[in-house]
Amino acid sequence: MTDPLPPAAPTALAAEPVGPTVSPPDRPSLPPGRWIRENLFPNARNSILTIFAILVALFAYRGLLNFTFSEERSWIAVRTNLRLMFTQAYPEHQYVRVWVAVGLVLVLAGLSAGIWARWGGVTLKRLMGWLMSGGGLVAVGVLIREPSVLTDAAGESVRDDAGELVRESFAAAMADRWVWWAVALVLFGIGLALWLRFEDLARRTIEIPVAWLVFGLPGLLVASTWVIRYGHYAFADGEFIAEPGELVAMSTRVPWTVMWLLLIGCYGIGRVARNRAIASAQAAAETSDDAEAAGDGVAGEGAPELPRGALAKTRTVVNLAWVLSPFFLYWVVMRDPEIDYAHVFSTMLPMGLAFGVAGSAVLWWLTRSDAGEVGRLAAIGLLLLAAFHWVAAFFGWYSMLQVARIAFLLLAVAGLLAPNFAGVAAQRRRLVGAWLFVVLLVFYGATVINAPSTIETPTDMFIGGFSVTLLVSVLTIMLSFPIGVLLALARTSRQPIFRVLSTVYIEVIRGVPLITLLLFFSGVLPLFLPDGMEIAELAAAILGYTLFSAAYLAENVRGGLQSIRRGQYEAADAVGLTTTQRTGFIILPQSLRVSIPPLVGQVIATFKETSLLAIIGLFDFLRMANSVIPNQSQFLGVRREGLLFISVVYWVVSFAMSKYSQRLEQRVGLGQR
Amino acid sequence: MARAARERSEQERGNGVADKGESTMSTQPAHGDATIAVSDELAARDDMIVCSDVDKWFGDFQALSGITATIKEQEIVVVLGPSGSGKSTWIRCINRLEAHQSGQIIVDGIELTNDLRNIEKIRSEVGMVFQQFNLFPHLTVMDNITLAPIWVRRKSRPEAEELAESLLERVGIPEQAQKFPGQLSGGQQQRVAIARALAMEPRVMLFDEPTSALDPEMIKEVLDVMEELARSGMTMMVVTHEMGFAREVADRIIFMEDGEIVEVGTPHHFFTEPAEERTKLFLSQVL
Repeated sequence: MTDPLPPAAPTALAAEPVGPTVSPPDRPSLPPGRWIRENLFPNARNSILTIFAILVALFAYRGLLNFTFSEERSWIAVRTNLRLMFTQAYPEHQYVRVWVAVGLVLVLAGLSAGIWARWGGVTLKRLMGWLMSGGGLVAVGVLIREPSVLTDAAGESVRDDAGELVRESFAAAMADRWVWWAVALVLFGIGLALWLRFEDLARRTIEIPVAWLVFGLPGLLVASTWVIRYGHYAFADGEFIAEPGELVAMSTRVPWTVMWLLLIGCYGIGRVARNRAIASAQAAAETSDDAEAAGDGVAGEGAPELPRGALAKTRTVVNLAWVLSPFFLYWVVMRDPEIDYAHVFSTMLPMGLAFGVAGSAVLWWLTRSDAGEVGRLAAIGLLLLAAFHWVAAFFGWYSMLQVARIAFLLLAVAGLLAPNFAGVAAQRRRLVGAWLFVVLLVFYGATVINAPSTIETPTDMFIGGFSVTLLVSVLTIMLSFPIGVLLALARTSRQPIFRVLSTVYIEVIRGVPLITLLLFFSGVLPLFLPDGMEIAELAAAILGYTLFSAAYLAENVRGGLQSIRRGQYEAADAVGLTTTQRTGFIILPQSLRVSIPPLVGQVIATFKETSLLAIIGLFDFLRMANSVIPNQSQFLGVRREGLLFISVVYWVVSFAMSKYSQRLEQRVGLGQR
Repeated sequence: MARAARERSEQERGNGVADKGESTMSTQPAHGDATIAVSDELAARDDMIVCSDVDKWFGDFQALSGITATIKEQEIVVVLGPSGSGKSTWIRCINRLEAHQSGQIIVDGIELTNDLRNIEKIRSEVGMVFQQFNLFPHLTVMDNITLAPIWVRRKSRPEAEELAESLLERVGIPEQAQKFPGQLSGGQQQRVAIARALAMEPRVMLFDEPTSALDPEMIKEVLDVMEELARSGMTMMVVTHEMGFAREVADRIIFMEDGEIVEVGTPHHFFTEPAEERTKLFLSQVL
């Protein structure tokens, strides 16, 4: 910041360029022939490199195609076991819960996207590029894939006298693949038609909203299940069903259609809310004097920016819903169908009420402006009391419900925070309100999650596959993030004890292989627990992942913390902020922005590392493909298809996250502070 | 009430200015004691900042040695000196961005010690403006200004925003409230920084080379704001290289070199008949 920016400096936080008032001189794009000559074959050396690279790519492409379409592949194993791979043996009559969970996530996603997304558009030129190269790629694939093996009437491959497979002729193969030719032609044709229809300038300036692609492509896919006969393969009631040429089962088609409609509907609702907020902000700006100031936010064409502060409450609610949803959905999917209501009414409800009322009274007293030192002492007393309950529980001196111990601890924490809210009535009410909310949450959670699940399933782990992968990665990320931030703060703290503890923790964890930690937590940890306390294998695994991931996240956040200039600390000190306020308002927000790329990298790594669950004996996505399917009597030894399939799913999710992080970086204006 | 105080202070200042010309200034300021060169009118005011025998080392290097000075209420003090003379270190000691190692610093009757509560109290009484602005880049101008009043002064948001608007009006950029610091010019950023410091309604303002990082054409807009602030009766301590500002606005000039106070005097005395050789040398280089 040594160089003061000129007044017309590019705006730091405008993610998408607003239409410039003076456009730069128009530079038409090169014709394809010249582009290829200038970029791929500019001189002899580069031409050789280009040809070599193309040959390598073609070779890899051919290998992949030959593998995928080989007559030895039995993709039917993947098709039949889709449900197994995603949810394992979740009982069919309870399946609606899974759909409810997916639906809730899509509702949130649709609403968030509708209200806040500014995806912008894809230029016609890029779209045409995608269509034509897609078509070209399909055509090349049809040409280079080796001809199929001939089969006899019984469906067996034909072999010649020497035992070699007999393949059809090239011409016959090309003719057999007419469907693929048609696909290639359609894709290329649409691209070409668009190309010829528009001038060069129009191709570069007309934009297709990204939202159409984001919602349209899944929509097409969903719609196709109603028309195209993909075939119906399943295990139903233990029987293997294979009906090629049938439509996909109703129990798949209908829910996915509903899901897509939910997504679209919520996106629409979100858009309406957004447009209303923008319109009302514009109206307010026109009536008030400082129209210019408000006008800055909504100027420009295309996607107008949501005015600052608009829909603030909605944002809070939706963000809160995002944070809480994994825990709620966990309950939706795993809960006991029958809650023990007698226990709820006799114990949980009265206890929750007591904590709510008594805790509020205590906090109200602690936030009096004259509470002072007495208040602090009282809060410390509460903390000692809460800690004592835990010690007593460890030695088994007296019995107390775990939820009560947790509530005591939380009350003590709220009591310690009380001085920050002292004095002003509004602030005191806020603290008491937050306390009531926390009590509600804790007792709700204890009531519904604590109850053991009684869903009957063939195996003792009734959910597995991709759901477990997702569950473990989402919970791990959500739990390890705050721990990681705290560790990073501790490591950069001025207090030697925090610094040493945090450094030792991080270095120890980073020096141990993840799989060791996981084995330790799943196998050894239960031996250390006090009598009568058990930890589910899944919970133990999540604990292991969380501790591991937190250490890495801490290092990423520390990198961000170190990038904050000293002047920021000094400025925060100079206006009188306390250390906590300085960290929360000034230092962390900036350093987390800087750490977005490594943080997302860590999130992706965590997501992929969940495949190690297979090694400690849980039925995750990888294990389904690697050992469950190859052991089914119908598909003995069919492993590669499943592995390729799960690789694609892993890749799609990871790629989506990485793309999202790029957009996030742009939006927070990284690198242009 | 505030306005009444300001009017009163302007009257006093008027008197002070009138005094300056003819009052019997001490023409022979004692070495290192800044309290002597004060007009009778100034001397009658309350002490705002009292430093006595302040020492500060960075490792083996002594950055401040035996700084003794008193700054009165509503006084404008400009600290001059070559770079490395300890001006910035001194001003940063006054709100404890640097800790002094011996001696005493008393601000508005509160002594600066390691006691965290005293430090926080003083920081909320003392506004500071930095050479590099140090605005919070992730917050809008409005949030930059209202953050501390809301969280330290416990003002309600509407109250704080009203205050912020009036301050932005005062520094001349009311239309920039919703922009981010990166979207403003250097001069505008520094004016926002001044507004941010003023939002805490401080009793003293410290300026640490406020114009040194600015392009020449932006220096004036910041100096104008500072001059207006000076006229309104704020106690100000300014480290700067702007000799014009020192001559026009300062009540007193303190000249430092090698961590010591070399000479203290009114602008008239300082620029026309400096007593010390080192002062003369410095002036010959900068004027």
